[in-house]
Amino acid sequence: MNTDTGFQGTFGWFGRASTVLAVIVVQAIAFWTAYTIGRPTWYVPFMLASAALLAYASGEGWFGMAAATFGAILLIAVGLPLALFVARQDPDVIAEMAGQQSVHRMLYLSVYGPLLAAFVSVIFGVPLAYLLARGFRGQALIETLVDLPLVVPHSVAGIIILFSFGQGGLFPWVGILGQMTGMVIAMTFVSAPFAVNTAREAFETIDPRLGYAARSQGATQFETFRRVTAPLATRGILTGGVLAWARSVSEFGAVAIVAYNVEFSYPVPLFGETTFSNHAPVFIFKTYNAGSIEQSGAVSIILLALSAAIFVLVRWLAYDNESTGGVL
Amino acid sequence: MTLSFDVSATFTAGGDAFDLAADLTVESGDTFVVLGPSGSGKTLLLESIAGFHDHEGSVRLDGRDLTDIAPEQRDFGFVFQDYALFPHMTARENVGFGARYHPEVRDPDELLERLGVDHLAERRPRTLSGGERQRVALARALAIRPDALLLDEPLSALDVPTRQALRDDLADAIDGVTAVYVTHNRTTARALADEIAVMRDGRVVQTGSPDEVFRNPASPFVARFVGANVLPTAALGTNGETPADATVAAVRPEHVELGGDDARARVERVVREDAAFRVTLEVEDASVDAFVHDPPTAGEEVGLTLPEEHVTYLAE
Repeated sequence: MNTDTGFQGTFGWFGRASTVLAVIVVQAIAFWTAYTIGRPTWYVPFMLASAALLAYASGEGWFGMAAATFGAILLIAVGLPLALFVARQDPDVIAEMAGQQSVHRMLYLSVYGPLLAAFVSVIFGVPLAYLLARGFRGQALIETLVDLPLVVPHSVAGIIILFSFGQGGLFPWVGILGQMTGMVIAMTFVSAPFAVNTAREAFETIDPRLGYAARSQGATQFETFRRVTAPLATRGILTGGVLAWARSVSEFGAVAIVAYNVEFSYPVPLFGETTFSNHAPVFIFKTYNAGSIEQSGAVSIILLALSAAIFVLVRWLAYDNESTGGVL
Repeated sequence: MTLSFDVSATFTAGGDAFDLAADLTVESGDTFVVLGPSGSGKTLLLESIAGFHDHEGSVRLDGRDLTDIAPEQRDFGFVFQDYALFPHMTARENVGFGARYHPEVRDPDELLERLGVDHLAERRPRTLSGGERQRVALARALAIRPDALLLDEPLSALDVPTRQALRDDLADAIDGVTAVYVTHNRTTARALADEIAVMRDGRVVQTGSPDEVFRNPASPFVARFVGANVLPTAALGTNGETPADATVAAVRPEHVELGGDDARARVERVVREDAAFRVTLEVEDASVDAFVHDPPTAGEEVGLTLPEEHVTYLAE
């Protein structure tokens, strides 16, 4: 007999889902109450106590309670600032900022630029990830190069890009300083490791015998990749793309150096209108420096909401796909 | 199609080098079993024949040299121990996978029906049992009308009843197809083989018909691996027939008779097996198994008869 049922065995899926919902609602009410009476700190002991209580109710024992309590401290460190940030925004300022054309341009640039960078990272990163997953001589050197952007300070990454392009560098006829091209190059530089490493992990989890089976059935290497390996790695490749996109959206240092003010083509009202704006983190930094913490907060929350919406959309479109039979 | 290969290669994994060398010929339509323990290089040999590993030497099919031919053009059907079905495709799609690369393929539904899994055609591999998956995998390998089949321990991941049922169907399915069948299971080997090669540490140590290999093992290693008792000649007492250079004698458990005076033994253990009792006896320091229908009791002292015609003398 299985006694380790937890919530799943007791309530089934529906029971579990409604339990989760109830916990979220209770936490939200507790936070809102603490916030409106001007004592948000009081929420901290409440949250810790409820984490311990939930662990106790799940039959996890004292170790589970300790783990839940310690974990809750980290959750508070991340979640509480976020909750307070959201709670303390002035809806009027958000509405005002959301109506401004400069904000629209900034948002367009901050979604579209990272999208280009993510495409570049995926298109050229996936073949590299495939090779790395299969293994080859001198692999360690390539791996180091791939991971290098992760440890290079981002301002340094910006400087590196300035030095490598322009007069005396690569493609001297292509302008990068203050250009969309420069911004995308900077974003690709810092985000490519995410696309490559995530896709690589996906390829590595695929049994090499599936490849053997496809080859023995008559499929060439390319056909094997197209019909077996790539479909099975789709989720990893997509996750890598989303991570690269998110990383590009959040990039400040390299973009601020290469393309502080960005010249780009804005498709509203007509295609081809050249305009200027800033990448979102730069825009928020500028707004903050200009002396308005309210306005920078409002822009931040708009950007957060947009990023979250895109993230959820991608998950919904790609991850709950039944046609892959639950493989993805 | 007669398949012959003379394959040698060195594999390095985790810093250890492993040398593989095998030179064998499979007559057209025969099932050739490569028998050996884990780590003897059977799978690497099979994968080398299929073209998945670089090797020296040659692979020939009816005289056609396949050595430098890509795996997808060798027309071998491959069956894997862990099935290797494509998880994102249904059973039917798996069986039909090779259709677009081969002009004449067999109908997937007909093959699935023949192997008794036609009702599972729309299902994905993860919803199938091990035996069902291997039937689908076998159908996939046969679908491309392969010139030869390469089977890598296709039954060893299955439980015993499933294994026996599938083994019989497998024997029917590969009847008349040139096949190399790799296994560590001597029972499977004896049941399916037209010819056996025993491998150890990357080398072929004996080839022959099942009867030859099981009755006249060429070394104590082969004798033990095919299930024979190996005991020192000293334990046999004064047997005038013992060749001078022999140090051990091999005799199969079914040929050991209780009673007689070839050797003295103490009964260690008596276990009931399907059709008979397996009696474990201690002879000097060696352990000897015998299959008998009328077992002694443990602890008893008995005499043994080892019929001369069933004893193989070997040097350790």
